[in-house]
Amino acid sequence: MFGLFEHIRTRLLRRRRRERVSLAALFRQFQQVLELNNRILTAIASMHDKLGGDYIFDVQYLRSSKQFIVDTVRELIDAFDAMAPGRYPGLYAAFRDIRHKLESELERRPVLPDVMALSFADIRLKDMDAAGAKSTRLVMLSKASAGTVPPGFAVTTSAYRLFMELNDIEDEIVRLEGSWRDGAMTVQEASGKIRSRILAGSIPPRVRRAMGRELESLRRAAGEGHLRLAVRSSAWGEDGDLSFAGQYDSFLNVRPEDLHDAYRKVLASTYSPAAMEYRREYDFKPNEVFMAVSVQAMIEARTSGVVYSMSPVRRGAGGIEIAAAWGLGSPVVSGEVEVDRFLVGREPEHAVIEQAVAHKPTALRPGPEGAVAVVDVDEELRDAPSLSSEEVRLLADAAIRLEQYFKKPQDIEFAFDRNGSLVVLQSRPLRIEAGDDPQSPALSDVLKEYPVLLSGEGDVAQQGVASGPVFVAWEGRDLDEFPVGAVLVAHLSSPQYAPVLPKASGVVTDIGSPLGHMATIAREYRVPALLNASRATLVLKEGDVVTLDAEQKTVYQGLVRELRMHDFMSDRMEETYEYRLLRRMLKLIEPLYLVDPEEHNFTPQGCRTMHDIARFIHEKAVEILTEIPTTSGASEACPGGRLELPVPMDLVVLDIGGGLTEECAGEEDKPSRRRTIRPEQVRSETLRAFIDGVTLEGVWQSNPVPVDFSSFMSSMTRTFSADSAGVNRMGQNLAVVSDHYLHLSLKLGYHFTLIDCYRSEDDSRNSVQFRFAGGVTGAVRRSRRARFLFEVLKGFDFSVTVKDDLVVARAKGWMARDLNRLMRILGLLVAYTRQLDVSMVSDSRIFEHCQEFEHIAEEAMGN
Amino acid sequence: MTATSKTSILILDDEPIVSKRLQPALEKKGYEVESFYESAKAMVRIRERSFHIVVTDLKMEGIDGMQFLAEVKKLSPRTEVIVITGFATMDTAKESMRKGVFDFLAKPFKLGEIQEVIRKAEEHIRLGKEGKE
Repeated sequence: MFGLFEHIRTRLLRRRRRERVSLAALFRQFQQVLELNNRILTAIASMHDKLGGDYIFDVQYLRSSKQFIVDTVRELIDAFDAMAPGRYPGLYAAFRDIRHKLESELERRPVLPDVMALSFADIRLKDMDAAGAKSTRLVMLSKASAGTVPPGFAVTTSAYRLFMELNDIEDEIVRLEGSWRDGAMTVQEASGKIRSRILAGSIPPRVRRAMGRELESLRRAAGEGHLRLAVRSSAWGEDGDLSFAGQYDSFLNVRPEDLHDAYRKVLASTYSPAAMEYRREYDFKPNEVFMAVSVQAMIEARTSGVVYSMSPVRRGAGGIEIAAAWGLGSPVVSGEVEVDRFLVGREPEHAVIEQAVAHKPTALRPGPEGAVAVVDVDEELRDAPSLSSEEVRLLADAAIRLEQYFKKPQDIEFAFDRNGSLVVLQSRPLRIEAGDDPQSPALSDVLKEYPVLLSGEGDVAQQGVASGPVFVAWEGRDLDEFPVGAVLVAHLSSPQYAPVLPKASGVVTDIGSPLGHMATIAREYRVPALLNASRATLVLKEGDVVTLDAEQKTVYQGLVRELRMHDFMSDRMEETYEYRLLRRMLKLIEPLYLVDPEEHNFTPQGCRTMHDIARFIHEKAVEILTEIPTTSGASEACPGGRLELPVPMDLVVLDIGGGLTEECAGEEDKPSRRRTIRPEQVRSETLRAFIDGVTLEGVWQSNPVPVDFSSFMSSMTRTFSADSAGVNRMGQNLAVVSDHYLHLSLKLGYHFTLIDCYRSEDDSRNSVQFRFAGGVTGAVRRSRRARFLFEVLKGFDFSVTVKDDLVVARAKGWMARDLNRLMRILGLLVAYTRQLDVSMVSDSRIFEHCQEFEHIAEEAMGN
Repeated sequence: MTATSKTSILILDDEPIVSKRLQPALEKKGYEVESFYESAKAMVRIRERSFHIVVTDLKMEGIDGMQFLAEVKKLSPRTEVIVITGFATMDTAKESMRKGVFDFLAKPFKLGEIQEVIRKAEEHIRLGKEGKE
């Protein structure tokens, strides 16, 4: 950083005329960085919006979106490089890497993460590509508290690819598949040859080591000699698509020492004749086949079985179907034996509609040497039901919850272990075929019979059908009360509702945008969401059951069963290749890994997505500007000066274009640091709003706060560091301002505040970021203050994260429409929070301060 | 095509996402919908029966969309054709309009937009019929 300014300074000292040009150029480049940054963020949001189902897009759209983002990011890097020539060559490398991956995705060469095994405990939704669909769904359902799942790990798709590469099988597969497609070979022959190659392959050392590590931790948990495994397929690209069901092999009760064999067998089943035929039919390319394998600890099952959350046979009436038998579940799944059957209602009480207990003379049990064996069932158990009525109810409840979570009827494999605990072994979508019943009236006619509460208004954030009781999130309501399966109705689509979205069946708001934070979360969980519906909170009444059809922007009174059925039976956009491709491309574009500028990964090398690159550049570009006033020489020609304020804030304003009135432009002979600027000379509305807030009478604490002894000691011993807020240029409080941009770096008391605020052309893509850290007291009080900020900012609909005493709050889109209001609030907050940590002597003070601040803000905003 | 029967729609697009998304949404609105990914199969179908409305992409493998819509118009002049395509250029739009296309939508478009175009096409068909009677 120093180099550039040294460079500017020497140039400035030598030739004064050039100096203005250089700074002016720097400001112009910075403006360009801002503009490009905004364009990129808008493009990302617009791509994400396409996941919601309201748009029909194609691969051509994905190609052109990719091209736009790639070109714009490249332009951004160039613009930034002009500000700091050659300083971050790593940005180009990071950019090329991401671009290459995006292009691979578009060429049907998916980017798989470089990891060989993943423990279930570490799997997240984003790991679907690595862990495959089955393992990921299993982990997600346990995270959603929809059921207990066995401990285990996934051997990844990358492990599969490495296996195939090291054993040189890929070319062989292409050759054999080719002969089969050309008719030179039967599918059985081709399949047999490929499978024997796989079975004879050796497992790459890296994969062995990764498997060994995971196996060891499973073994430790199970106790020596007790661990047995269930080894199953978890293929890539199977998400949502159930048609692969049953085409791949699974192995039960595998001894740890036999895991390698079982692994090879599961891999080989990728090329079973049925799977090959299926892939040919659905146009899978040979290089689109990646098999991850799920390795689970065997559950010592007392009873096992299958649940259909919606009976495919009794569709109209509904009902949950359960089939169960003693011992292990595979005979139940394959339908080989007589099983106990239960049909229960879908309503919360789950009344038993039908029940048939079978005669069960035998059961499948784990054998002592691995594998499984058919054994006789004890005489007195043969005709007894394998599930208690309590267990039936528990299963029905879990089935509804899983259906709720995955937004489709589910086909669930389960077991009750020796202690009677319910364990979910697998949950996948249940295909319900549309019945060809000529008697049933057309859906469009049926829908005419239902009273319509809302229609035709709003923006679709996520399409789909949802029904449930209305939960109106009125001001101050405790969201912990939100019942599973309710329809969330709120005035604003605020990120504060994020925690209830996984439980909600649907969302309707009066105000909101499909490009906002809440819309993004709704799409993440695929919760049908209609935002900006204007009258939702007026029309929809607490507790009333309604059905939302987001796609048609309609809310019906009551439960519209026919609509739900139609939704359940319909093909899903999520099951198409184009949709999956968009999701995978977004992974390389959208997530933000660079959050904290002081983390070690905040480097060009740390940039994993296009968003990261944009973020990194923005941060560093601002840093260059904020150094100008403290760099001697350069400051002399700065357009701007010291702002005259009624509070002792000592704020220097640097105008990079249109932020101050023209007379503040500065002349070469008058050093700007000595020039003062009056508040009325500020043209930037956001800065004026901030000044209004920060100078509101009575909020700024002008008397020194008495520092108690422990705070004093803590301030003496604490290593003073501004780093956690990213303000490593301490000293001068600074505002960088233009007509549509405002950046504030403030050091007040002993803490640091950064505010970054951008106004877009039509206010629809505004954004504000607020970062806060530091303080004079010990960690506990500082974290209390962080908690205070969290509560307050959340209350004003910011999306807030807290890490130790670092608070980061963001607002964008709809939440940032009224930027002036937000900047006034932030002004108030900055004034109010000075030395607040000192008075945070107990937790109860947090809420006292929240209330007091709320009161102040109300009064100030009312004016 | 009787007055009381449902409005029939054929969708042809080689990218499955289009009909997977459109078909259920249109069925819900009361239309009778058939979807095709391959133009050859769609071509066979339009020789078997006529549709009130055809929604087709322009750029596909095999038979070109332009050829397909010409064939539709030849076999059943009263069928309204709506073109959807990712290659939105004025030239293709003009050419398809000359061939008697009812309307032209560039992908990506919103579901509401195509529903609106279909509604207008339906109205057009109805008015045309009334004019003849």
